[in-house]
Amino acid sequence: MLFPTVEFAIFFPAVLALSWALMSRPALWKPFIVAVSYLFYASANWKFVFLIAVVTAGNQLAAVLIHRSDDERRRKWIMAGGVALDLAVLGTFKYYAFFVTDINRVLEATSLGLPLPLLTIALPVGVSFFTFQAISYVVDVRRRLIEPSPLVDVAIYLSFFPHLIAGPIVRAREFLPQLQTPRDPRDIPAGAAMWLIAIGLVKKVAIADYLAREVADPVFAVPEAHSGADVVFATYAYAAQIYCDFSGYTDMAIGLALLMGFVFPNNFDRPYRAASFREFWRRWHITLSRFLRDFLYIPFGGSRHGKLRTVRNLMATMLLGGLWHGAAWTFVIWGGIHGAAQAVEHLLRGKVHVPRWLGWLLTFHIVCAAWVLFRSPDLGVAADVFAQMTAGGEATLITAPALVLVLAVIGLQLIPPRPMDAIQLRVQQWSPAALGAAMFLVILLVGATIPDQGVPPFIYFQF
Amino acid sequence: MSDDAPRTLVDLSKARRMDVRQLLKAVALCCLLLFASAGPGIREAGEQMDPGLDRTLVLAVGKPAGALGDVVPLHEVADEATAWLSTDEELGEGGFTAAAQGPAAQGGGVPPVTPEAFDPAALGERARPRPLRKLLVTGDSLAQGLDAELARRLADRGVDVVRDPHIGTGISKDILVDWGKLSTKQVKDESPDAVVMFIGANEGFPLKGAENRDVECCGPEWAALYATRARTMMNTYRRGGAARVYWLTVMTPRDGDRAQIARAVNAGIFAAAAPYRAHVRVIDTVPIFTPGFRYRTSMRVGDEDTIVRESDGIHLNATGSRIAADHVMRALERDFAP
Repeated sequence: MLFPTVEFAIFFPAVLALSWALMSRPALWKPFIVAVSYLFYASANWKFVFLIAVVTAGNQLAAVLIHRSDDERRRKWIMAGGVALDLAVLGTFKYYAFFVTDINRVLEATSLGLPLPLLTIALPVGVSFFTFQAISYVVDVRRRLIEPSPLVDVAIYLSFFPHLIAGPIVRAREFLPQLQTPRDPRDIPAGAAMWLIAIGLVKKVAIADYLAREVADPVFAVPEAHSGADVVFATYAYAAQIYCDFSGYTDMAIGLALLMGFVFPNNFDRPYRAASFREFWRRWHITLSRFLRDFLYIPFGGSRHGKLRTVRNLMATMLLGGLWHGAAWTFVIWGGIHGAAQAVEHLLRGKVHVPRWLGWLLTFHIVCAAWVLFRSPDLGVAADVFAQMTAGGEATLITAPALVLVLAVIGLQLIPPRPMDAIQLRVQQWSPAALGAAMFLVILLVGATIPDQGVPPFIYFQF
Repeated sequence: MSDDAPRTLVDLSKARRMDVRQLLKAVALCCLLLFASAGPGIREAGEQMDPGLDRTLVLAVGKPAGALGDVVPLHEVADEATAWLSTDEELGEGGFTAAAQGPAAQGGGVPPVTPEAFDPAALGERARPRPLRKLLVTGDSLAQGLDAELARRLADRGVDVVRDPHIGTGISKDILVDWGKLSTKQVKDESPDAVVMFIGANEGFPLKGAENRDVECCGPEWAALYATRARTMMNTYRRGGAARVYWLTVMTPRDGDRAQIARAVNAGIFAAAAPYRAHVRVIDTVPIFTPGFRYRTSMRVGDEDTIVRESDGIHLNATGSRIAADHVMRALERDFAP
């Protein structure tokens, strides 16, 4: 059930009304939210509801056992067990097919026989997100940052439908305290929430899907059939598309949660205005970035043991971050490019002064070039895209609407945000009737741009 | 670029607060306007969904909303007002509904067998290959992957490959797209020398039989109605013999119910192509990917077992698409000069 669909447009208002009706009675509200979140998840594949239930129970058991023990070694081992469960789920469902062929080749080469079975395992939607949140819960309990919550609260934390599918990755210590007391029914920032939902819809349906359909998808399917100008334009168009697709989803998720009384952390902050890779990762997928920092980079040693160790830690973190996005070498290399760029920045910091405009120019274009790997189905297609960038021929995809959208998406991030902020603040003051009517108009207009084939899934659903 | 302080998405400290009654009023108004302006569309969306919870949910709202929309024609006003934003092409008149009243629906007598029912090559005649200038690759989501693979292989041969898959559509699912109309438009717009058709992932919907009766999948009556529709499309695509059509059957899906539908679809394709063997080639994917109608995930490719299906148990993965493209290319090379 995608957010911009008829199913969700029916599901959400009913859940919203019931949620607020039950809010004052947590004993009813909490099971209700778990049930509707599982129902939401079951609409993708009901079998995976059991998976999320097992992950919830396993991590809750680990958290409780950690809390009961005073022995640091024992606490550490129990945490490792909980994290291992999460990584086993992730490894089995996400990476089995990626590694099985290579493992079988090794087994065959070493005459060990017994090849692993070739299976196509369906990827549970959102598995990368809910397993990371589960890890954050167990680790934060072990670090004594939080205490174990009741099982039903943990079930809500891991399955809460606004963020279940593609984040933002909400930390346990951000979300669980919000469950301790009922949300205040007199304190709903409805204007802000509806603004976010409307902006998210426009970004996803009217911009991202249009750019995908008209520019990026045709080029990345058959780069050889397009001129160099089209291929270069498609690279920028994909940069705009993925930003609008993912940040559009996040805007809607944050807005929906706000309507239900919950606050999620921000996930994007005008990433294409970054003048360095370090800054880029503070603006792009912020909740993943801080997860990688807190659960990989710092445990690896961070920047505490000299420049070379820091470079190693940066590379390892970003390579694993790349692999988190998908089980393919294209993602690993994409992560490697980001890791290498941050390592170079780290080594040059204090030695070379780069003007901000030059830093932006370099960062933006390397980010766009790396998106080619992110978007390409395999390394062969990525190589074809790069090779085709210098080819001649007529540009047929650079149409006025596509050009305007790409320039607007990237350009609006470079200027100060005041005009949009002013509109946003004005919308937030509107009356309920005006908000309802405006939301209707946005849905009507955005809905008219949806082709017969419907809304394609969000890019980050596959992760 | 001087304003570089990290910022929150919305400034909640300045946001106006509402109570839950005001919020629900706003949401209710929005829903009411939506149901009134899109009721019939919601009902149609529900009718074209596969059976399940989602369909039940959408129809539970769509039916009353549709009835409301039938009485208050706000949806017509909304459709007209937003038509300029639509990216879908107008398909024109005709289509399967019109075709169902045509000769195929009549019956009686023995239809004559024409020379077009024979592939000259099968009778030992020497083929006279022609140049291939434009190839249309179309179908539903099954065609995705195959279309890109064919376009890549033909990119350096000067062949204009038009990729036009329509995801989520089916020949028996004409609420979304009427393939009778769409095929006519495709031929009118593109005039392809050859058409590759790969469709069948969204079939199994009831078809209108005699006296407008719904015929459920997947018996002989349904297969015959499906074949009639497929034949109408084949006839459109072959352009009276000016073009060649390469129609792929559906390899057996993992799910038993879908496998039953695939068998009926494939039977329909073979029956549909029978009068047009001179111009329509059926590329049977069943013996390639699922011999004996038995689903398999992997098969021997070169020296090693390789996965050829997606995890959904329906589609081909990239390797599978390459294998399918091999077979299509071989069929194309028999009819067209390199």
